Amino acid sequence: MAGSARVVAATLITALLATACSQGSATRTEEPAAGGKVTLRYFTFSAAPDHVKDLDTIVAAFEKENPTVDVQVETAPYDQYFTKLQTSIAGQTAPDTFELNYENFVTYAGAGSLLDLGTAGGDTDTSGYATESLNAFKHDGKQFGLPASFSTVVLLYNKDLFEKAGVALPTADWTWEDEKAAAEKLTGDGVFGDFQPVTFFEFYKALKQTGGEFMAGGKSTFNSPEGIKAAKWLVEKVGKTMPTEAEIGGTADYDTNLFKSGKLAMWHNGIWQFAGLKDVPFGWDVVVEPGDTQKASAVFHNSVAASATTKHPREAYAWAKFMSSSNVAATTRIASSWELPPVSDQAVLAGYLKDPVPANRQAVFDSLKSIALPPVIARQQEMQDAVTQELTEAAAGRKSVEDALTEAAAKVDALLG
Amino acid sequence: MAKTLKYALVVLGALIMLFPFAWAVITSLTPAGAVLQTPPDFTPDNATLDGYTRLLETMPFWRIMFNSLWIAVASTVFQLVTSAMAAYAFARLPFPGRGALFAVYLATLMVPLQVLVVPLFIEMRTFNLTDTYFAILAPTIASAFGVFLLRQAVRQVPKEFDEAAVLDGAGHFRIFTLVVLPLIRPALATFAIFGFMASWNSYLWPLVIIRSPEFMTLPLGLANLHGQFTTEWNVVMAGSVVSVVPILILYLFAQKHVIASVAQSGLK
Amino acid sequence: MTLTETPVEQVAKQPVRPPRKRLRYALTVAVFLLPSAVPLLLFTLIPMAGSLWTSLHEWNLITPMRWVGLDNYADLLTSEETHAAFGHTLYFIAGYLPLVYAGGLGLAMLLNRAMKGRDLFRAIYFLPVVTSWVVVALLWKWLLNPASGIVNWAIGLAGLEGPGWWTDPDWAMPSIILASAWKDLGFVMIILLAGLQAIPNEYIEAARVDGANAWQRFRRITLPLLSPSTFFVVVISLINGFQVFDQVHVMTGGGPAGATQVVVEQVYNLTFKYGRAGEASALSWLLFAVVLVVTIFQVRGQRRWVNYG
Repeated sequence: MAGSARVVAATLITALLATACSQGSATRTEEPAAGGKVTLRYFTFSAAPDHVKDLDTIVAAFEKENPTVDVQVETAPYDQYFTKLQTSIAGQTAPDTFELNYENFVTYAGAGSLLDLGTAGGDTDTSGYATESLNAFKHDGKQFGLPASFSTVVLLYNKDLFEKAGVALPTADWTWEDEKAAAEKLTGDGVFGDFQPVTFFEFYKALKQTGGEFMAGGKSTFNSPEGIKAAKWLVEKVGKTMPTEAEIGGTADYDTNLFKSGKLAMWHNGIWQFAGLKDVPFGWDVVVEPGDTQKASAVFHNSVAASATTKHPREAYAWAKFMSSSNVAATTRIASSWELPPVSDQAVLAGYLKDPVPANRQAVFDSLKSIALPPVIARQQEMQDAVTQELTEAAAGRKSVEDALTEAAAKVDALLG
Repeated sequence: MAKTLKYALVVLGALIMLFPFAWAVITSLTPAGAVLQTPPDFTPDNATLDGYTRLLETMPFWRIMFNSLWIAVASTVFQLVTSAMAAYAFARLPFPGRGALFAVYLATLMVPLQVLVVPLFIEMRTFNLTDTYFAILAPTIASAFGVFLLRQAVRQVPKEFDEAAVLDGAGHFRIFTLVVLPLIRPALATFAIFGFMASWNSYLWPLVIIRSPEFMTLPLGLANLHGQFTTEWNVVMAGSVVSVVPILILYLFAQKHVIASVAQSGLK
Repeated sequence: MTLTETPVEQVAKQPVRPPRKRLRYALTVAVFLLPSAVPLLLFTLIPMAGSLWTSLHEWNLITPMRWVGLDNYADLLTSEETHAAFGHTLYFIAGYLPLVYAGGLGLAMLLNRAMKGRDLFRAIYFLPVVTSWVVVALLWKWLLNPASGIVNWAIGLAGLEGPGWWTDPDWAMPSIILASAWKDLGFVMIILLAGLQAIPNEYIEAARVDGANAWQRFRRITLPLLSPSTFFVVVISLINGFQVFDQVHVMTGGGPAGATQVVVEQVYNLTFKYGRAGEASALSWLLFAVVLVVTIFQVRGQRRWVNYG
């Protein structure tokens, strides 16, 4: 038995040594990189797992242009990204630059965590950006983030199913009524006519499509006739032209698989789905989402922001600008369908239209003519969760739409304090 | 008759237990487009190793595997040694305040990790230890769970054994290593499995403390397979299958000790 | 606060020693304890103190803390959400613990005797323990799918209509309990198996010679001698049960309609999703208080049924 004790002791010492040795290499990031180089950390959620190589391309181009800067990329899945970001800010080890989506931007800008990029670089040229995108990342008149990418939500449809059912293909002039009528005709034989998730994000957009407003003057205003109409538009699809929660079964990507397997005729989803639909064995295309009294398309924006505590504000600005508006970044994004670059140069964007599938790519740009930005408050996540939960209750038939909206409004008002 | 029935019961139960793993294996071998369908769209003809090759492509797989393995092994060894020693003290060395101290040990299990992560991160930051192997390992050097498990085992060792050793003039260290440790081998083997698993599956803490890709561990790598909008389930399943293998090997190894112990313990 | 279960033993067994020997003894105790005490102090107790401090503040992690005293506690104690979260957690424990213990004990008894392929079976029953919750949750949601799951299909064969399982607020917690018990059976089994190994065979043989039947041998010999392991399983399962999180987080995320919103799921949301770290810490300390009281009761009560041979 003394033998096994020795083995344990030996292993323990080895482990201790290995631990000790690892320290040397581990602290290296704290020191300035060799040759007076500045190490600039960039934290992102949108690169992994599909676009890591595209990000590498952009980083390499930036480092070539800025030989004194070494960009160190860190990635985390979106689900855990903010856990990590918040903890690092709390521990005062925030990355120099990081990605922020529009919905979370206000929380961080309001908390004073972000560097004013308008003054950080001593360069105020913002002509390369699409104005609406740029303005989305202003807070108190300061440019706390540079828009790096955007994507929109459109109506994807399976052409073959429409033709088989003898239903006219969707057009840009469609309204909710047209969509509903078509969905009803298309549903049956294991095929669902429509799919639109019952969530906060679909609701605020539908609300705008029917002419309502989510909030005004620091109070919620969605518990209105328009709000009820928008909620009913979403909720009443469930179980009729769209699968129920039970059928969806909480499976991630259920709708993606349903569409890919040719059993879904119309699908409200983002342009980020295009790449995954390359090889489907049926014809499909897109149109701008139908509206009710007006058109309104959802736009998701991501930005590059810099930490207020970064030691390298100039480099942080240079990288943020490069990542968001350089020609390399823009063309790399377009070539790999990694969302869209919010640049003002139409020639760059035109590259996006070259891809033949879907044929009506122009709809992506058309959808930008009338956009619906999500309402954003300091306690954003709580608001989103509360609204989604109440709508889900209504969709499951456990509450009336009216009751659900009343309770959602009460919760949101409490969050607005 | 009753024996056959029991056997049938065990076999049936085993099938139910095996089912999810079999399902994970099958999903991992299914082409990307065909996963998660009911019924699964899988035939031996369309089986593919794509999930596994993608796994090797999308992450520095061997580096991640190496990190996870050595961290888990080191943390298991640390935990076995520190826990067994403490267990001996709590079971065999009376001292004033022993019960209170044991209560403090147990209390460390009662606050959810989710609220300890941020203070621990800040503490590591003040020691300038964030983003190091040591930081990943630190919370798993000692384990109150292990102390408790092993204390129960030590207390089951008949006292006559130590007393005999004391009469031979043995001190506590000799009693510990020569008498008690061999007798609690089943518990040590059991705890080795749990200690290893705790480190191997640890997710939240490595997630926040690590930022350099070279320190990445397997659960972090697997989580990275979930994109914001899409997930390649065949790759996720391939990763899950691979991640089970080391624990299974350890289990099969440890199981021998669990069984062999009786014969060697001299309890017969 | 002490968990001293046998104070008499200390007084009786601690021999009066001369000072030098006492110092040596104290050193011995220290050497045995410090390797675990120091890391626990540094990497658990200090963060615990940190979270206690946090619980007295309003803090969203990204702005400086703001002192609020005991407000977080006062708010939580009167909040319906807190009561519901503790209720759901107790519901989980009440369903999970008996199921997993009875199942694990039965398995351990079955797999403790000689049978063909025993080692293989043990490994198979242990397989779910080592499989990640992400995979297990996905699978169980699929099995328990109200519309297309195998379980409801089987119930349908019997001419009955299966429930909505995790999509139905009334059935969501039973679904989680079922999946959890299934996954953890092997955990209980392996600990009880190790305990069974420690029971000398001759005790059971002696009982057999005395004419005790199988049930009597189990009831009078095995169960009492297994009590230290049982005690461990119950204490640990309760401590872990109160902190149930992984399975809820991946299976239902607290839904539907908040029916599975357990305490730690709430703690997680408050800390990392909602930027309310102060309240999350306060909630954790309320949980701590409950778990501590429950554990003290168990440790105090063990004298009556735990047999350390």
